[in-house]
Amino acid sequence: MTPKKRLNYSYYPGCSLHASGREYDISTRALFKALGLGLKEVPDWFCCGATPAHNVDELLSLSLCAKNLKMAEEVEGDLAVACAACFSRLKHAQHKITHDETRRRQVETAIDGPADVKKPVKHILEILAREVGLAKLEENVKKPLLGLKVACYYGCLLTRPPEVPELDDCEDPSIMEDILRALGAEPVQWSHRMECCGANFTLSRPGVVMKLSNAILDSAQFAKADCIMVACPLCHGNLDIRQESIENKNQASYELPIFYFTQLVALALGVPSTDLGFDSVIIDPRPLLREKQLI
Amino acid sequence: MKNKMMRLSNETMNIGFVKKVESLSGSSVRRCFQCGKCSAGCPMSAFMEHPPNRIVRLLQLGQWERVLAGRSIWYCASCETCTTRCPNKVDLASIMDALRKLSWDADGPSKESYVQLANRLFIENIRTYGRQYELRLGAAFNMKSGQFLKDLMLGPKLLSKGKLKMFHSKNRNIAQIEGIFKRIEEMRKKGEAL
Repeated sequence: MTPKKRLNYSYYPGCSLHASGREYDISTRALFKALGLGLKEVPDWFCCGATPAHNVDELLSLSLCAKNLKMAEEVEGDLAVACAACFSRLKHAQHKITHDETRRRQVETAIDGPADVKKPVKHILEILAREVGLAKLEENVKKPLLGLKVACYYGCLLTRPPEVPELDDCEDPSIMEDILRALGAEPVQWSHRMECCGANFTLSRPGVVMKLSNAILDSAQFAKADCIMVACPLCHGNLDIRQESIENKNQASYELPIFYFTQLVALALGVPSTDLGFDSVIIDPRPLLREKQLI
Repeated sequence: MKNKMMRLSNETMNIGFVKKVESLSGSSVRRCFQCGKCSAGCPMSAFMEHPPNRIVRLLQLGQWERVLAGRSIWYCASCETCTTRCPNKVDLASIMDALRKLSWDADGPSKESYVQLANRLFIENIRTYGRQYELRLGAAFNMKSGQFLKDLMLGPKLLSKGKLKMFHSKNRNIAQIEGIFKRIEEMRKKGEAL
């Protein structure tokens, strides 16, 4: 399964992947191993600032990201990022620092050195779809995800604004669906794949999150999806951890497992289900996977 | 404030404030022709008293007090839909960032909304630990906002799943991180950055 030339990546997991999104980290590592790709964590990386930092202090946000990008230079390979928020902030810092001379000078003062932010930052979705390639993925499928109806949920930060992440179309992306089709799964058409889940209001205004996330779950159920697939630990938290209280509040019954795309891809490539962190999530996906004879 | 009649004059229009917003955000507010596309796509406009397009119109008219007095800017989720869809390339998401920064600077910690409090604790966590200590963030938020029972049932569930960690160690390079915060503060003191 190893590609001709072994591809090595440096890795910025981000805070969530070391805590509330640990199964995203576990499955990312398992997936890279299965594909024969190198993945080396940047030593001593720290928080990118996420939404709260740029919300009230853009200069701080840019400086935290610039310093992390500089530290990533020490590790070989393009920087692989899994968290949609970290990905968005790192790309945003690159974009801003490259295009805004005043900001670049201020960031250089803040990090006390040149703002060297040229390291290519890549989301794991694009590594899978474009660097490994869909054909190669399809070739290596050991357990096709036949009959699994999946609602691909992009959320906000993977594609918006288009000139920053440069990942896919900002209104009608297809990268997740393309990957799923290569694995034999069946992506459903649904209305809410680009809508906001409420993101980091989960701490300060959970009522808002419950309302927005309810609309997403409702839409996925309406499209007859078996599950939702995400690429962001905040989206995952809002849809998975809060699902039960959303159901109670809205007298609804969803019971929709929320997968990270890395879990489903790794499963299809033959990684044992016990290595993918399925025991860490709140809505247990294993009954569904058993029903579809995938585990 | 919301329903008070608006009189436009040199005294009531604060163009200096608007220029600050434009400089911080790197985006012009004058390009907006009020098509309303930003508000149509905004997932949070239902929670705001001034939807995004009205925020821009109020800025064009120098009505910064009306903008900052409302809760609208603190309900923006930074989803970037407005910036993405604007036909005139008004970067509304960055304008919202700039407005929150100016409001943050003016209010101080005494007049905090829940969102401000959450943001402040999140940033404090970076300065203290380097990486987010989620358990502390949640606990500190509940203590300081007086909502002691908020999400209390989630805690044990998340701990048992390994999604929350009891203990958290500081980054080895915490002094470097502190340096970034210090130098930004110094730049602001010297007037080298907004």
